[in-house]
Amino acid sequence: MNILNAITREAKFMVRDRAVLVWMMVVFILSSLAVWSGMDSVEQQRASIERLQEADREDRMLQLSQIKSWGSAAYYGFYLTHDEPSDFAFASMGQRDLLPWKHRVRMLALEGQIYERDTGNPLLALVGRLDFAFVAVFVLPFVLIMLLYDLRAGERIAGRHDLLVAVAGRDASFWLIRAFIRALSIFFCLVIPLFIAGLIAETSLTTLLLASLFVFVYTIFWTLLCYWFAAWRLSASVILVALAGVWITLAVIVPAAGRMSIDRMVPITSGADILMTQREAVNDAWDLPKATTMNAFWERYPEWNEYKLKEGSFDWSWYYAFQQVGDQKTEPLTMTYREGRLERDRLAGILSLLAPPILLERSLQALAKTDFSAAIAYEDRVRDFHKELRDFYYQKMFRKEAFDNKLLKYLPVFAAGK
Amino acid sequence: MKHLLLIAAGEWRYWVRSYLALSGTALFMVLLIVTSLLTGMHSEEQAHEREHHQTEAENTFLAQPDRHPHRMVHYGHYVFRTPAPLALFDPGLDPVIGQSIFLEGHRQNSAMFADSGSSANVGGLSWLTPAMVYQLFGPLLVILLGHGAIVREREAGTLAHLLAQGISGRSLIAGKGLALFCFILLLLVPLLFSSLFALSHGEEVFSALSLMGVYLLYLLMWGIMTLFFSSILQKRSTILASLTALWLGLVLVLPSIAVSIAERAVPLAGKIETDLIMQADIRKLGDGHKPNDPAFKQFRLNILKQYKVEKIEDLPVNFRGLVAMNAEKNLTDVLNDYAYARMKREVEQAQRLSDYGWLSPQLAIANASRAISGTDLEHYHRFLREAEKLRFDFVQGLNNSHAEKLTYQDDMNRNRDDASGLKARVDATSWEVLNVFEFQPASAADRLNNASQAILMLIIWFAFLLGALLWSGRRIQP
Repeated sequence: MNILNAITREAKFMVRDRAVLVWMMVVFILSSLAVWSGMDSVEQQRASIERLQEADREDRMLQLSQIKSWGSAAYYGFYLTHDEPSDFAFASMGQRDLLPWKHRVRMLALEGQIYERDTGNPLLALVGRLDFAFVAVFVLPFVLIMLLYDLRAGERIAGRHDLLVAVAGRDASFWLIRAFIRALSIFFCLVIPLFIAGLIAETSLTTLLLASLFVFVYTIFWTLLCYWFAAWRLSASVILVALAGVWITLAVIVPAAGRMSIDRMVPITSGADILMTQREAVNDAWDLPKATTMNAFWERYPEWNEYKLKEGSFDWSWYYAFQQVGDQKTEPLTMTYREGRLERDRLAGILSLLAPPILLERSLQALAKTDFSAAIAYEDRVRDFHKELRDFYYQKMFRKEAFDNKLLKYLPVFAAGK
Repeated sequence: MKHLLLIAAGEWRYWVRSYLALSGTALFMVLLIVTSLLTGMHSEEQAHEREHHQTEAENTFLAQPDRHPHRMVHYGHYVFRTPAPLALFDPGLDPVIGQSIFLEGHRQNSAMFADSGSSANVGGLSWLTPAMVYQLFGPLLVILLGHGAIVREREAGTLAHLLAQGISGRSLIAGKGLALFCFILLLLVPLLFSSLFALSHGEEVFSALSLMGVYLLYLLMWGIMTLFFSSILQKRSTILASLTALWLGLVLVLPSIAVSIAERAVPLAGKIETDLIMQADIRKLGDGHKPNDPAFKQFRLNILKQYKVEKIEDLPVNFRGLVAMNAEKNLTDVLNDYAYARMKREVEQAQRLSDYGWLSPQLAIANASRAISGTDLEHYHRFLREAEKLRFDFVQGLNNSHAEKLTYQDDMNRNRDDASGLKARVDATSWEVLNVFEFQPASAADRLNNASQAILMLIIWFAFLLGALLWSGRRIQP
């Protein structure tokens, strides 16, 4: 009963405290702005995907309408692949701003195509957009610091501290209640826009609840930290500076130092090496005896090894075989490149346990499927699709099926994962 | 004048005794020095690695054996973007843009492999550079040291004393300002070292000086803002809180809001999307691999007329090479139209973003810093344009040897048998049409010119705040 009384009393105080109300409004407006702009970006990406699918289909139909062989169908046919933004992507764009989420590929060597980047304006990616994750990870702790640093020092200067303690009885719980009421009101101002946006975007309830749980835990962390600092018998300015120092350390210095050391600890295959190796392999094949290429090809596709090639003339099957062999030769490099990136991401995950801001940002990205593994998963889907494409055309070409435009409708279709 | 120096010296004495001021400065300096070293090392390694790859790519191209020149058009070439010398201080766009482009006939590829695509993902503010330390934390340090300047005298009751001694409010502010000015000059020492280092790597003195100039302006602006708040507000912790809140808004929040607005105000279609539209234009041109394409009918007539012959077999040059040259020219015109349109759009978007520098001085300083360092959008586009020029030149050089060094008959028979294939070749010296690629930033004057709008913004901020401070100086009362 006592605690309930204390809570109502503190709530009444807070409603009359202009500073708290102003900060609540600031957080509410920023959060609304962030989810609105995030939803708009997702909308734009969806619209762009829709336009692309349409244009891609038309372009392919036009290209393939004049085709007379399987070989040239494979050469001229480009296929759009894309990664659909998830129902929570509006809250955190994450790696989608940095890594490609759409590719248009054809049956040539994939290594030459998969690193193409169709990303937006690099300047905007560098400065970074305002999304919910940004507000939650960076702005929220700051607002909490602003509201809680002079929790006690302020009252001490006003001369009310000892009186309040005497009236309120137990020391700690009184200040704790005050701190938590302020923190929770800020938390709700942050999360309410997220829920409204989630309802509109039809985000699953689990995702929304998980996201708010993460943000809640994060709020508690900073509130306790502020509460602990505020209990120091030091001037308000010193407490504020110390808290700002902690914020800078956790939100900027640890991530920056961590990123640099992880990148140094896990060196990565240079992209240039992958591309050069691939190009040399593909180009050398023109001058090599066809049998050399075909033997390497048959190692991977023994099912077509009865097929005989004539030396000295152009043959589409051989052409695509050396494209395939080009990819095969790059495989070790590609694998180390992929594994290196994954290892860096794994270490970043471990580092995030030391710095709550990284942890929250990565968790929100994971929920939004805009994290690094989502980008790799998309890359894998593109690879799988490319393989299906190859399987389809290899069958037609090696079996020497007569070209028939109508059969193109059985081409594999890229499955955009949700 | 004597008063001024006394007041300034008093302020310095206070800082030296203040635990907060000392530890804040020490932390800032350590952070700055460490990021300077790490960014410098990274930049150096990158420059070295990319130069190495560039030479390697050129040598491989030149080492190709005798072959059909059109094979080399498709063999292609790689160019690498070496960072500008001042990238060791402000890498700017470097981590988010691709480092290399594959150049080949008939296509313009995008720049691939950006650092940010393979780096550990640890959140938005992890790309810390010396430039960012100045832009983000310089103001905080200035606030930390300067916020108490006037109010401290007020809270300690010494303000009335000073004023009674006949020191005007303005000279009190001037004295405190002098102390802060000297402190800011001290803060710029690491930047001086970075600049000297860049100078030894071929940077122009003018750029290094202007870079120091803009950062001086930026930090002074924050210093003046701090003194202004210190003189108009009564409570020390309120001043500190207001300034920190202002810092959060101006430095962190506004720029990212501006990004969201600019993105909406100037929508930018993706490359795949514009490429698809471009395909329709390209299809009208005719395929340069097929000299019989109806699109080249007029061209064929013109050539026959020019050489006064009846059949293309009678031409003294290889008609297929001429067609390839003509087709590449027309195609490149279309490709460039679209590429330039995209760049223009990106510049418009960037302009929209930098307009918000009137509201957020951090956007203004960041723009000025990138522009002067040669790591801005303008330089990225410059790289794309230079790469394209190199592509076009070597492709046309190869097409030229296709026309001049290979007879039409040999070219037509190239697929008949192995011997004919051997005949349809040109010797490897023809590959020397490839120019050496060395990406250089624009001249110091051009870069300063690119930064001029951002610098103007900083000057206006500076002048406006100075006016406000002078106004408040008259009104200082105990």
